[in-house]
Amino acid sequence: MSAAHPVAELYVDHYPWLHAWLRRKLGCTHLAADLTQDTFVRVLGAREVGQLEEPRAYLMTLAQRVLFSFWRRRDLEHAWLDALALQPENHAPSAEDYALVREAIESLDRMLAGLPVRARQVFLMNRLEAMSHAEIAAAIGVSLATVERDMKRAVTHCWLASLDAAMPSGVP
Amino acid sequence: MNARQLDPIAEAAIDWLVRLDSGSAGPEEQAVFARWLRADPRHEAAWRAIGGLFEQPLAELSRAEAHRPGQRRAARLALLAPARRKVLRSSVASLVLLALGGYVLNRQPPLAELVADLRTGTGERRRVELADGSILTLNAQSAVDLQFSGRSRLVLLRRGQLLVEAAALPERPLIVRTEHGEVRTLGSRFAVQRTDAYSELAVLERSVQVTTTAGQAQRLAAGRAARYDAAGIAPLAGSAAALAAWSEGVLDVRDRPLAEVVADLRPYTRGYLRISPKAGALRVFGVFPLDDPGGTLAALAETQPIVVRSFGGLLTRIEHRDEAG
Repeated sequence: MSAAHPVAELYVDHYPWLHAWLRRKLGCTHLAADLTQDTFVRVLGAREVGQLEEPRAYLMTLAQRVLFSFWRRRDLEHAWLDALALQPENHAPSAEDYALVREAIESLDRMLAGLPVRARQVFLMNRLEAMSHAEIAAAIGVSLATVERDMKRAVTHCWLASLDAAMPSGVP
Repeated sequence: MNARQLDPIAEAAIDWLVRLDSGSAGPEEQAVFARWLRADPRHEAAWRAIGGLFEQPLAELSRAEAHRPGQRRAARLALLAPARRKVLRSSVASLVLLALGGYVLNRQPPLAELVADLRTGTGERRRVELADGSILTLNAQSAVDLQFSGRSRLVLLRRGQLLVEAAALPERPLIVRTEHGEVRTLGSRFAVQRTDAYSELAVLERSVQVTTTAGQAQRLAAGRAARYDAAGIAPLAGSAAALAAWSEGVLDVRDRPLAEVVADLRPYTRGYLRISPKAGALRVFGVFPLDDPGGTLAALAETQPIVVRSFGGLLTRIEHRDEAG
């Protein structure tokens, strides 16, 4: 990247306050540095950076998204470690599986984002634990028709979300 | 939910996906499905695209499950956990957050420690909620390992002090084990301290059973406290609540030797804290903040015949006034 690149200027001008802002949110300077980098990576993916009228507001919006997805990943990992803590010690995943399992959980979470809780529950029982509709209906106390409706809703939700994600958009 | 319209072929593919995995699709239905799939190349394309949505993450989880059972279940529980952002902002939970932050930065954590062990450093108290609903509070410089199974919840206290608020699960007793014996409950609140020579138990709510490694057993009701080792169980005079007061950040001392008070301050002190036998034998009363050991020692020096000398924060020596000259 040449010095004349608009993102380079943006980086030099705005890195310090953005890093300071993220550090206050996170309480850790190294983590804040990582997420500041992530924010500028998102800027690189966007178009028409040179014409920004409100660079601070723009960067703040991107940083908030970076922060939000960071918190969400952290929550998921935390909940996952809690669930594992309830299992015998030797059932922790191997170091090789650890990263892949985390990634798989995060990608399922992105697909299911915005889906009502019961439909999410029904979907996970069916796809993750191979429970039949009848077993799910008995386990959560709803009718078979409700389980089927929730399953369709969940798959439709994931499908439409994947179509949206495939569409190009102005802001990454 | 989503403004986008679903085209009829995608809708049919979704219907089939749900139907075939319902657990009640018979051979006739499968035959009808096979005909539908062959009827139009667009059917097959839609089927592949929609079926492939979850293929990768589910395959990863199945692979991990094959290596170590329980991965899929843990993934489901994680994906159903509510957002915790607000919880994580609290000061206690931020300790957990910092621990995980360390993980993110290091990328290669000692895995067993993250998953099974809970530890605290000097001056650090930590409260952890387990997925069964039980809450563990670790005093400073304490360590526990968790071995939870479908039949029992085993907590191995390796070091220090632990307050347990055990969720009531009639089928799965919660057991806190040290090398001196074990404390067993189906649901209660109690504190255990492990030292090299003995363990101590203070029962705060309901009752628990303590069994020494030699097999001697006794039931202890709320408000009672006992010291136990391989040789036996001896009741402790004084209040059980006072013994667990560290969980509130205070040291509640009622007629105890100064040596024991200093022992309780050590996990909160970065340097060495030494006390002479003569000073250690003094009897102490009072309530002191744990998070300020220097202030606590200064307060003690005002009421006790002791001299406290600090050498650059690395070593603090406590002597009786007669010895100090």
